[in-house]
Amino acid sequence: MKIELTVNGVARILEVEPEERLLDVLRERLHLTGTKEGCGEGECGACTVIMDGKTVNSCMVLAAQADGHAVTTIEGLGNRGSLHPVQKAFLEEGAVQCGFCTPGMVLSAKALLDRSPHPGKEQIAVAMSGNLCRCTGYDKILRAVERAAGEVKE
Amino acid sequence: MNGTVGGTVGGTVGGRVLREDAWGKVLGQAAFPADVRREGQIYAVAVRSPHAHARIRGLKLDEARKAEGVVAVLTSADVPHNGHGVLYRDQPVLVQDHVRMAGDPVVLVGAETLAEARTAAGLVEVDYEVLPGLFDPEEAMKEGVPALHPEIHGSTNIVYHLPVCKGNVAKGWAEAEVTVERDYQTQMLDHAFLQPEAVLAYVDERGHLVVEVATQYAHYDRGEIAHALGLKFNQVRVKTVSVGGAFGGREDISLQIMAALMAWRTLRPVKMENTREESFHSHSKRHPMRMHYKTGATRAGKLTVLEARIVGDAGAYASWSPNILRKAAIHATGPYEIPNVRVDAYAVLTNNPYTGAMRGFGAAQPVLAYESQMDLLARELGLSPMELRLRNICRVGSETATGQVLTGSVGMEECLKAVKSYLGEVSAR
Amino acid sequence: MKKRGRGLGCAWYGTGYGNGFPDVSSAFVEIHDDGSVSVLTGAIDVGQGSSTIFAQIAAEELGIDPEEVTVISGDTDVTPDSGTSAATRHTYNTGNAVIKAVAQAKASLLTYAARALHCTTADGIELKDHKVRVKGEPSRSLPLAELVSKARLEGERFLGSDSYTARTTRVNPETGQGAPYWPYAFGSQVAEVEVDTETGNVQVLRVAAAHDLGKAINPLQAEGQIAGGIAQGVGFALLEEVRLSEGRIKNPTFSQYLIPTVLDMPEIRAILVEEPEGTGPYDAKGLGEPAMLPTIAAIVNAIDDAVGVRITSLPATPEKILAALAEQSKK
Ligand code: FES
Ligand code: FES
Repeated sequence: MKIELTVNGVARILEVEPEERLLDVLRERLHLTGTKEGCGEGECGACTVIMDGKTVNSCMVLAAQADGHAVTTIEGLGNRGSLHPVQKAFLEEGAVQCGFCTPGMVLSAKALLDRSPHPGKEQIAVAMSGNLCRCTGYDKILRAVERAAGEVKE
Repeated sequence: MNGTVGGTVGGTVGGRVLREDAWGKVLGQAAFPADVRREGQIYAVAVRSPHAHARIRGLKLDEARKAEGVVAVLTSADVPHNGHGVLYRDQPVLVQDHVRMAGDPVVLVGAETLAEARTAAGLVEVDYEVLPGLFDPEEAMKEGVPALHPEIHGSTNIVYHLPVCKGNVAKGWAEAEVTVERDYQTQMLDHAFLQPEAVLAYVDERGHLVVEVATQYAHYDRGEIAHALGLKFNQVRVKTVSVGGAFGGREDISLQIMAALMAWRTLRPVKMENTREESFHSHSKRHPMRMHYKTGATRAGKLTVLEARIVGDAGAYASWSPNILRKAAIHATGPYEIPNVRVDAYAVLTNNPYTGAMRGFGAAQPVLAYESQMDLLARELGLSPMELRLRNICRVGSETATGQVLTGSVGMEECLKAVKSYLGEVSAR
Repeated sequence: MKKRGRGLGCAWYGTGYGNGFPDVSSAFVEIHDDGSVSVLTGAIDVGQGSSTIFAQIAAEELGIDPEEVTVISGDTDVTPDSGTSAATRHTYNTGNAVIKAVAQAKASLLTYAARALHCTTADGIELKDHKVRVKGEPSRSLPLAELVSKARLEGERFLGSDSYTARTTRVNPETGQGAPYWPYAFGSQVAEVEVDTETGNVQVLRVAAAHDLGKAINPLQAEGQIAGGIAQGVGFALLEEVRLSEGRIKNPTFSQYLIPTVLDMPEIRAILVEEPEGTGPYDAKGLGEPAMLPTIAAIVNAIDDAVGVRITSLPATPEKILAALAEQSKK
C-alpha cells in the first residue's frame, strides 16, 4: 500500500506492507537508524519519535497509521553545528552513557518542553517515565531536562 | 573541535570531561550493530529449543530449505569445532544431540529477508525426546544424580567448590556471646541492557571474516570464532561498534559464531538481531544464590566467627561460574575483619538458563546476607548499625578471610563517615 | 499507612580477574606531528566511559587536552588485547597500560627535547600546556607541536607500546588462602524508604552513596556510575526476577520483567571518597560494579527500620512484605 508522510520536514511517498511498523519504515526504508528498537512491544521508549507534536513508540504504530502525518526523528533535531537545547543539555550534564536510550530520551524531553516550557520535577519525571535507561539511573537525564528548561539551580 | 560546548570541558585528570562519543549519541549518529548494514546482506535466525532438557532424535529441514528466499540451513554438522565458553568450551554453537537448556540453538536459517528467515525457521522440525530436568541446585548436587556434562565436567554437577578457612571456628563459637543464623536467597536476574544482541558478519576483500558486534571483549570473541571455524586469529577481525550496555551479559558468545559461520558458508554478509524475547532466552543470567549464614560476636560488638554455605545455580553451562562462586566465597565476610571463618561456596549445573557474569560478579549476592546479619546483630547487641560496623570494618593492615593483608587504599571508614549524617536516628527496634 | 525508615549497607569488591589469572592490559601510543595523539587499546567502552578516561590520562601525561587524544578501541585488526570490559578493571589496569605506553613515547620525546633546549638531561624537561619546557625555567620552552614536527624532519618518531599486569595470587583450593585481588574498592550507602503497609509497596526516597574509588579521574562519569549502580540495586532489591517454569523463562519481556523507570528512582547524593591507591593511575582504582552493591542491603535494612520485617529473599515484592507484615501481626 502507498502512504504519504513527512519525515523531518521532507515529504515522502512510500510503498509499504500492511504489517510494517513505522519503526521499520524509518530504520529499514529511510535508513534513519537513530530510532532504536529495544523491545518491540511499547515498553522501553527507545523507538520514540514525535508524530504531530506528540511522542509515540514507533514500534507500536503501523506505517499505515502514519499516513498523512508529520514525523520527527532524532536526525531531524540538530547537528554538530547547532545542537537542539535538549541535546546540548544531555551532553553537558553527562546524561549519556551507552547512548542507546538517548535518542528516545531526547525526543521525549523535546516534546515535553514544546508543550510545557517550564515543567516541574514531577512533570519531567512523568513525561520521561516511558523511556527506560539501564545505565544512568536517570539522575543526570533529569538534570539535563531541567537544564534544558532553564531551571537548573546550581 | 567539539570539546567546548557550554565550557564544561576542563582539565584533564580530575576534570568533568565530556565523553567524545556523546555527540554521536545525542545526534542519533552512533551506530550500534543493528544499525550497520552491507550491500547484499542476508538475515539469519536461530531455531532454539523450547525444552530445558532433551535428546534430539532427528531434524526435518526439507521444508525450510525449500522455503522462499532461503539461502542456507545449517546444523551442528556444519560447525568444524562445535564448542565455546569462557573457561570451558562446554557450550555448543549448534546443539548436536543433547539440549541442556531452553533457548539452546539447534538450527540456523539464513534467508534473503528477515521475514523469510523467520518463516523458514518456523518450518524446521526438530524431533525432541524430552528428558527429566534438574531445576534445583540442591538436588542436582546430590550424589547419584545424573551428570549433565560427563565429558567435560565429570560425574558430578558440582562444577566448583571453594572452602575458605581461617582461624578456628570452634574457638570463634566459644568466644561468641551473641549468634545470628539465617537463610538468604537471591533471585535470577537479567542484565536487560537496552540494546538487544545484534551482529553483522561478512567476508571482506582480503578473504578475512569480519564480525561487527557489540561485545565486552573483542579479542575473546575473535578467539572463539576462529576456534569454532578452524581459522587463524589473523583471518578473523572482530570490530566493536557502539555497545548498548553490557553489565556482564556480553561476556559470553551470543550470535557471533552463528553469524560468522553463516557468512563463511554462504559468502554473503549476514545480519542477526535478537528480539528482546530471544535476548532473554539466550544470554547468561545472574546466579540465584542460597546462602546460609551463622555469625557470632562478643557483647562488646566484635565479630568472632562466621560460618556460611553458599550454593549458586550455574544453569546449563559453566560460563564464569567457578570464578563467580569463588568471588562469593572470598567476599562472604563483607568488608569486616573476622578472625575465624569457614565458608563453602558451590556452583552447581542444572537445566536452568546458564548463569554468568553480571555487575558484581558473585560479590553482589552475599551483600544481602552479610549486611542483614550486621543489622540483626546490632539489634541483638543494642548497638547502632553504624557503631557495630565501625567496630569491625577493614582498615589498612586488616587481614581478610583469605589471609590477605590490606596495605593500600582501604576507604571503608571514610565511606561510612561520609554517609553517617544521612542515617539520622535509626530507631533501635 | 505509609511508614518511613532508613537503612545502611556496606560492601567491598576485589577488582581485576583475580586468583592469579594473568590480568594484562596493553596499549599502543603514537604522538602525531602536530602534538596530537592516538591511543589504541582493546578495552571497549560499553557505556562506562573507559575511552574518556584513557584520553584524560594520556592528555595529562603529555600536557595536552583530552580532545587532542583519539582513543581507538576494540578492533582486533588494529588494537592490542586489553582484556575484558568487566571486573571493574579498565580504569586501573588499562589505565596503567596507557600510562606505561605513553611513558615510552614521552621518554624519547623528552630526550630529544633536552637536546633541542640545551638541557643536559631529559629529567630536566616537562610537558605542560602544550609546551616543552625546562623545569624551573619556563621561559626556555618550545611549543610541543613545533618540537614534534621538527623531530619528524630529523627522523625521530615518538611511539609507545606496553602492558600492565595486575597483582594477584591464586588461592589455595583446599583452604581459600591467598591474595586473590588487588585493589579492593569500598562503598557505603544509606537508603530512605517509604513502605505502604496496605499495599506492601516500597518507594525508595533518597540514597546517599559514598564510594572509595582511589581517585576520581572523571567525577562526572563517576557520579553517573553511582546513579546507574543504584538503579540496578533498586531493581535487584525490589523489582526484578527471571521466573522459571521447568527451566523455561516465563517473563521474557519488558512488560513482565520490570526494570526501574525514572519513577522508581530515589533522589541521589553521590559522594566520591578518594583514598589514594598508589599502584593505580593517578591513584585511581575502580568503581563500576561496587556502585550497585550497598544499595541492595541499604534498602532491605531500611524496610526493616520502617516496618520491622526482615526480608531474606529477593526481590522484596509487595506480596512478600504483606506476608511478612501479616506474620508479624500474628505474633
Ligand atoms: S522498541 Fe518500541 S517501545 Fe521498545
Ligand atoms: S545510557 Fe544506556 S540505556 Fe540509557
